[in-house]
Amino acid sequence: MVKSAYIHIPFCKKICSYCDFCKVFYNTNFCKRYLLAMEKEIHDYYQNEELDTIYIGGGTPSSLSILELEKLFQILSIFRRSNHCEITIEANFDSITKEKIDLFKKYGVNRISFGLETTHDWILQKMNRCLDLDYVKEIISYCKRIGIDNINVDLMYAFPGESLEDVEEDVSFILSLDVCHISTYSLILEEHTKLYLDNVKTISEELDSNMYQRICVLLKDYVHYETSNFAKDDKYSKHNLCYWKNKEYYGFGLGASGYYGDIRYSNTRSMTHYLQDKYRYQEEKLSIYDKMEYEVILNLRTKWGISKSAFFISYGKKLEDVYSYSDLVERGYLIEKDDYVMIPYSYWYLSNEILVLLLEEFHDE
Amino acid sequence: MKKENIRNFCIIAHIDHGKSTLADRILEKTGAISKRELKNQMLDSMDIERERGITIKLNAVQLTYHYHDEEYYLHLIDTPGHVDFSYEVSRSLAACEGALLVVDAAQGVEAQTLANLYLALDNNLTVIPVVNKIDLPSADLPKVTEELENIGFSKEEIIYTSAKTGEGINELLEAIINKIPAPVGDHHKPLKALIFDSVFDAYRGVIISIRVMDGEVKVGDIIKMMETGATYDVVGLSIDTPKEKAVTSLKAGEVGYLSASIKSISDVEVGDTITLEKNPASEALPGYKPMKPMVYCGLYPIESSKFEDLREALEKLKLNDSSLTFEPETSKALGFGFRCGFLGLLHMEIIEERIEREFGIDLIATSPSVVYEVVLTDGSKVMVDSPTKMPKREVVSKTLEPYVKTSIFTPSDYIGPIMELCQDKRGTFINMEYLDQTRVTIHYNMPLSEIVYDFFDKLKSYTKGYASFDYELIGYQESNLVKMDILLNGEVVDALSVIVHKDFAYQRGKIVVEKLKEIIPRQMFEVPIQAAIGTHVIARTDIKALRKNVLAKCYGGDVTRKKKLLEKQKEGKKRMKKIGSVDVPQEAFLSILSTTEK
Repeated sequence: MVKSAYIHIPFCKKICSYCDFCKVFYNTNFCKRYLLAMEKEIHDYYQNEELDTIYIGGGTPSSLSILELEKLFQILSIFRRSNHCEITIEANFDSITKEKIDLFKKYGVNRISFGLETTHDWILQKMNRCLDLDYVKEIISYCKRIGIDNINVDLMYAFPGESLEDVEEDVSFILSLDVCHISTYSLILEEHTKLYLDNVKTISEELDSNMYQRICVLLKDYVHYETSNFAKDDKYSKHNLCYWKNKEYYGFGLGASGYYGDIRYSNTRSMTHYLQDKYRYQEEKLSIYDKMEYEVILNLRTKWGISKSAFFISYGKKLEDVYSYSDLVERGYLIEKDDYVMIPYSYWYLSNEILVLLLEEFHDE
Repeated sequence: MKKENIRNFCIIAHIDHGKSTLADRILEKTGAISKRELKNQMLDSMDIERERGITIKLNAVQLTYHYHDEEYYLHLIDTPGHVDFSYEVSRSLAACEGALLVVDAAQGVEAQTLANLYLALDNNLTVIPVVNKIDLPSADLPKVTEELENIGFSKEEIIYTSAKTGEGINELLEAIINKIPAPVGDHHKPLKALIFDSVFDAYRGVIISIRVMDGEVKVGDIIKMMETGATYDVVGLSIDTPKEKAVTSLKAGEVGYLSASIKSISDVEVGDTITLEKNPASEALPGYKPMKPMVYCGLYPIESSKFEDLREALEKLKLNDSSLTFEPETSKALGFGFRCGFLGLLHMEIIEERIEREFGIDLIATSPSVVYEVVLTDGSKVMVDSPTKMPKREVVSKTLEPYVKTSIFTPSDYIGPIMELCQDKRGTFINMEYLDQTRVTIHYNMPLSEIVYDFFDKLKSYTKGYASFDYELIGYQESNLVKMDILLNGEVVDALSVIVHKDFAYQRGKIVVEKLKEIIPRQMFEVPIQAAIGTHVIARTDIKALRKNVLAKCYGGDVTRKKKLLEKQKEGKKRMKKIGSVDVPQEAFLSILSTTEK
């Protein structure tokens, strides 16, 4: 049963040098047509389920004008929402205004995720972003004042040339904002990004790892509940947990991906196709083994790990019969605790290695 | 086909002197193939041959040429040019009456020009000297002519060609007809046919290349292999024109292919004589002496389940390459594999590549080794072709290693660097001969093991590619040799052990551990790498533990991307061999070869 929906707004006023996600320059004319196309997509596919989470991401959703945002929320009003439905929207400080926040509030948005990334001017410049730290403080406190206190701030680290001290300064600034959720990502140089084409050098594995460790220490008052996510007061991102717990979700909009039944799909990244109502780009039909693999990969990113009983209920097989992990437990790479199997906290940052070792132990009976 | 109108010949040359291009041009001139059909280097049919630009497997093609109102049948038997393959050269020579000795008009006589010339003369062949590439701006005809005169040819004999422009090719074809004798042999005598090559075809079984010396073989005949005693019904006979053309019989003097539904590879031995079961020949042809492998290495399938496939691949390759030897061997680190013997390093690389490409088996090759002789304290002798077979130091009284006499041809400008290189490689200077004022042959005695590694590459780079070399085995000499082990995470990896000269062990050990550190990816824990002689550690370094490897941001729920990433990582791991708990990539096993610091 689908209980979550992701809505993609691909427009940006500026293109960040590291971003390889699906985005286009903001343009009023395109935006109008885009919203209409997306309305049609939602009509075509949405099965009237009651949703627990709605996530409006981008791109930069806050780059839309008030009118366009009004239109967007009208489109989204088709979704049936549960009582505690989490509605998140992503925003950037260079396009967000108090007026837009008021509008969010009016349409039931109860969580805002801000892209801050760094506080350092020279890095912002290389990222092709801009930021006014005073305005950041003002906006955050405004959100809290009008009752949107479920706020996330994104922090990016391991930018070429960045030092450990730079990251520490970023973290202490974010801590001063006193938000309940922080996401941290180490920069990945993706192909086809400006940064990649500029041939910049990544920082050393050591420094990257030191930054990560340092962030973990500085954020000790938060619960590190997923590889890159920290939360206070149980304000976990319900929507992201839907991904990590391998639950179904819709993805609407350009380049969005979704999962329902046996299908994982992704939408076209071509605006032309999308505007011609050719939404779907590819669909992957999942075998039970694919599903089990996703279940393992995704759940092991969280502090809770994977539930053996839930695994058995979903797939009719015991986790240990499909992946013989006892050796990994013996070597200390996995912990088995009651119903759960998880990666020990000290190894989180090497989770790829451990996942590969685990997936190698796959047995088809 | 009149026997008087048949000419069997081959082309011999130093590597890169244009042998294959000349063969192509001859094919084109005789109308065997049109220019349009001509892929470069038509005779080289294996992918690797064409990519590397060298000829590995031999080929025989029948060409027709009209001359003075007569139709002549020219059988061109291709030969490989690299020093590793002199054995195959001698095979093709045995099937010919004549040879074209090709010399590059710019480079002149080289080491292998001479080696091949002597081989041809030993086989009583008529040799036609050909100066090729005369279109080159750097061609120096008077000089090359003089060089050929110095090695015993007269000016009048020499044919000047450009395989590129086609100049001189008709003269060459006429010289082949006029100078190379027609085959002797009597087709009324009992059949004697020399097997000079064979390949395995999935549908037809073993296909044999034969040169009929006496008698006649027809489709339907029952043939007998004189050495192995096997008998078969001849199912098909054909010639290559270079498209395959079926014929009903092959007579004395002719060259062609024979198939007889032979499934048992071991029944066919290259060099054996085929005769008829009824009315057999009284004695076999002399054949030729098989070359002994000079270099050995272990070949192991990465997936241990492919062991039997590897055996089959080796058997099939051995069919047309009897110089390849192999026997099963086990390694603690690598499991089951084969100890294989090769003529040289290039031969080894080509066999490895063919197994990977043609048979789809991923391989790990251990570092090559020559055959050492070890005299034990009780006076007995053992031959050691693998470091793992090296007896314990306590029972060794002395060690000997094979030495070769090298002949290095070079412009005199490079004498200095070459002597330095040879000294580094433990060489002993013998003498130096000037061919003319600017060209010189330097002779050194050197351990074969030093040549096996990177001598050839080094020689080429020290001399900007101008030097060429050849070598012959001169026997065993005493040498202070030790076995150097490599320990990963405290455990000896038998597949990485190597036999080295004691004086060079420290330096080699240091280089090898550093190289391994570079090649082996970081693991979840710190991995010490050590080089040791016995229990004495001579070099050490550590691979630091992996610090970061995590799936990061997941944009808009695009989790399929993560799975793909993990799968890629998983694939990468599959190509590595687990030794203890350390993942070691293929290349690591050859890193032991590196003898220089970066």
